[in-house]
Amino acid sequence: MNKASKALAVLAVLSFTTLRGAWPQEPQPPAASGLPFSFQDYRLRNGLRVILSEDSRLPLVTVAVGYGAGTLREKPGQEGLAYLLENLMFQGSDNVSPLQHVAFIQKVGGELNATTASDKAFFYETLPSNQLPLALWLESDRMKSLLITRDAIERTRSDLVREYEERAAADPYLETFSQFDELLLPDPLYGRPLMSPGILELGEADIVDFYHTYYVPNNAVLCIVGEFDPARTRELVARYFDSIPPGQDIPYPARPVFRREADAVVRYSRLASAGAGFHMGFRFFPMMPGEINALRLLEGVLLDGETSRLRNRLLRRDLTAGYLTGALDERPSVATLRLFCLATNAILVARSERAILAEIDRIKANPLSPDELVKAKRRFKAAYLERLATSLGKARFLVDAVFAGKDLGALDGEMNGVLGVSAQALAAFTAKYFTPQNRAVLEFGPQ
Amino acid sequence: MSVGSGWSRTAWPAALALAGLVALPGPAPAQERFRRTPPLPDAQRMELRLPPVEIFTMPNGLVVASVRRTESAPESSMATLQLIIRAGEADSPADRPGLATVTARMIGKGTKMLSAEFLENMVESVGGEFSASVFMDYTVLTLKVLNEYIDRGMFILRLMALEAAFSERELAAVRRTSFWRLYESKKDPEVLGWRQLLRSLFETHPYRMATFNEDVIKYITTRDVAAFYGRYYRPGNAAVIVSANIDGPTAAQRIGGHFEAWAGSAPARTAPLAPPQNDRERVCFVEAPEAGAAAVFAGNIIMGSAGPDFYPFLVLKHILGGTTQSRLFMNLREAKGYATFAFSEMEIFGSCGVYWVRAQVRPESVVPAVREILGEIGALAVVPAVPSEIEEAKSYLVGSLPLRFQSREGFDDWLARYVALGLDQAQWDRGPEELKRVDAEKVREVARKYLSAKPVVVIVGRPEWLGPYLGDLEAVEVYDSGGQLKHIRRKGEGR
Repeated sequence: MNKASKALAVLAVLSFTTLRGAWPQEPQPPAASGLPFSFQDYRLRNGLRVILSEDSRLPLVTVAVGYGAGTLREKPGQEGLAYLLENLMFQGSDNVSPLQHVAFIQKVGGELNATTASDKAFFYETLPSNQLPLALWLESDRMKSLLITRDAIERTRSDLVREYEERAAADPYLETFSQFDELLLPDPLYGRPLMSPGILELGEADIVDFYHTYYVPNNAVLCIVGEFDPARTRELVARYFDSIPPGQDIPYPARPVFRREADAVVRYSRLASAGAGFHMGFRFFPMMPGEINALRLLEGVLLDGETSRLRNRLLRRDLTAGYLTGALDERPSVATLRLFCLATNAILVARSERAILAEIDRIKANPLSPDELVKAKRRFKAAYLERLATSLGKARFLVDAVFAGKDLGALDGEMNGVLGVSAQALAAFTAKYFTPQNRAVLEFGPQ
Repeated sequence: MSVGSGWSRTAWPAALALAGLVALPGPAPAQERFRRTPPLPDAQRMELRLPPVEIFTMPNGLVVASVRRTESAPESSMATLQLIIRAGEADSPADRPGLATVTARMIGKGTKMLSAEFLENMVESVGGEFSASVFMDYTVLTLKVLNEYIDRGMFILRLMALEAAFSERELAAVRRTSFWRLYESKKDPEVLGWRQLLRSLFETHPYRMATFNEDVIKYITTRDVAAFYGRYYRPGNAAVIVSANIDGPTAAQRIGGHFEAWAGSAPARTAPLAPPQNDRERVCFVEAPEAGAAAVFAGNIIMGSAGPDFYPFLVLKHILGGTTQSRLFMNLREAKGYATFAFSEMEIFGSCGVYWVRAQVRPESVVPAVREILGEIGALAVVPAVPSEIEEAKSYLVGSLPLRFQSREGFDDWLARYVALGLDQAQWDRGPEELKRVDAEKVREVARKYLSAKPVVVIVGRPEWLGPYLGDLEAVEVYDSGGQLKHIRRKGEGR
């Protein structure tokens, strides 16, 4: 797209938003919430969604910006592009020199970072509350005018490849995580890795196009949590972000089409060193509304704490494994429960797998005792509250909720939804989804 | 309202067509003036104010420290209970290094009546988590529970800590996990470098006890654990910290109810004196056969946490290597390209502290990198930092201090250290005021005092790097990964 046609498109989109609604929406007063905090939620004229949540405990503020620019937005052959762009966001914009973004934040004692997931790229700064204008200036400048130069691209991608190679050299299991993702989510978009050496082949035009398409206000959420004056903050947000032109409308990411609806898949991945073990995972797709609550609770029953079903069985009772971890991964449209296990020795890999399946079958056949159910719910509640204990935690929670398509007004019921799951519902959910067709296993070892 | 509503796929073509009718192309608007320069901060920075620490002493000598957390409703918050024992790794007997750590890890592994599994189940049933951390001078046993079950939490903590039993079976399990943890940690060049630095600085000092290896764990018996527990786990040598949505007097009363029967005075224990600073040229090389890059450490003894030098040294340490904008990083990485990173750190124990530089360096650049590090340290000792550097460092430190207290872990760690070391109010939440009082003269003074002596240098890397890359160093003490001296290599040997 040349400059003239780009300007025309920008004007067209501006006019479109004018037709849709001429003025920014008035922020609503903080809603009484079942959450341990309240927030305001509104949009600017360019479509930027803004969420404000006051927290005056400490003289700090977190500014977080999420863009719908995760790996799901990459086209075939663009593996690693979303991650590359996330890193290029620190390489300078019209008024900020390369890496000056970091320097500005560090100078005032703040901290910052960024992550890329399948659905979004997430950037944040936490800094002294009187420096809020600085964070908004920096975020708005790179949203409006990132400088994507050939030098910056070369430097960034060679750094990323080197870092990845160093990590792979230090962690013999790293590659198996990407392999397992592909196995568990056999869909060209959903199963792709975050980082790929293929970023060395990406063309400059693709990178620029990705930025102009997805790093736009109507595809972003700005969330500010901390100690601030709401009226002054709304003024600052309008000042720095309102005049940034929106981009084209962006459809919601396509739902996955899993190519393989077959039996459990077991493969063997050879490792240069290290012990034997396996990944085991279950795919939950499609799920009915509300079923995620049972899955969230089940994650705790199986894996949370030393007395959880699987840790107790493998690490304490059977002693077939030396290490076991796992987590629920909620992505747009699909959730997975993943386990990573290092067996005591190669012979005990299969026995550990059988023990896991046996524990799952026990939940299907015999609903949890009231004590075990209560324990899982209290652990869930504690983890849920811990997640919301910091300004960054709250900002991440709110941005995650937006990109998951959740109704923010209903978030106060989210925790209670899980606390209301019955033992029978848990058993029924387990029976429905923990089937061989939804399961994948990847074994690895030195031989 | 959801983001999805703004992404309507079907509305777009029609809207674009309509927009085309009303929009005319024109010049792109000039950049707004406010975008050109960074904005000034808002006028007044809010002051850091933490909730006050209320201290109570029970008749049995147990100290109760309470901090009320009111950020959330009681039913929506967590409570932290910490039992501080004023004995750390430096208190392990000379022939039983690691005993303080193993004893702490045995807490929660059973009582005379209840199994480890039963206790773990009790903890998890109140949404809780239990952990044990052993520092140089003290031990912290932490129990986090949902605030609504705080009474139950106090009961569980009392049960685990006061009625602890030490079975052979559980000790074997603790020894096994401790062994593997220590064994695995020796693969990390950063851990190897830090341990060797402590060994070199505290050669005959009790703080050397903290540098034990996995091979000593197997000698610890249940009798050793019981003896250490009996000597130090006493109310006169302990404090309970309550950080929860509960007021101080109530917290003290409830803790008193649970812990009043605990008896035992403080053991005779004198804090070790600070050792002298190292002041001779000393380079240690620790073999790490799988290292990808060299780790370089350089450090020396500094003051303890009490006294007027703490905050000026904090500023000095930041100027040297606090962030990627500091002297070390700018020199070693940005200007010379020797290092991936280079930072400065400090840690304060009961009677003294340590500052150190840590850098990840290309193997072929180790010698010039060491020279640059020593040069930067020496320069600060001789040439005063410029006022703008001092002000920037203070601004950073004042700004970043509240970040420590954001997370519950950060707050709890700070609180435990404050209570365990018996620090004064200046170390609780008066940091910003203390930092503002730091001036160029004070920074110059601490630089002369602590940076003039020659630091110990520790290099961690592959044995084969020694000849080609370190041959120019006058003398290098070569250690294995367990800290055993293998030989001293002289300049020019075995190139």
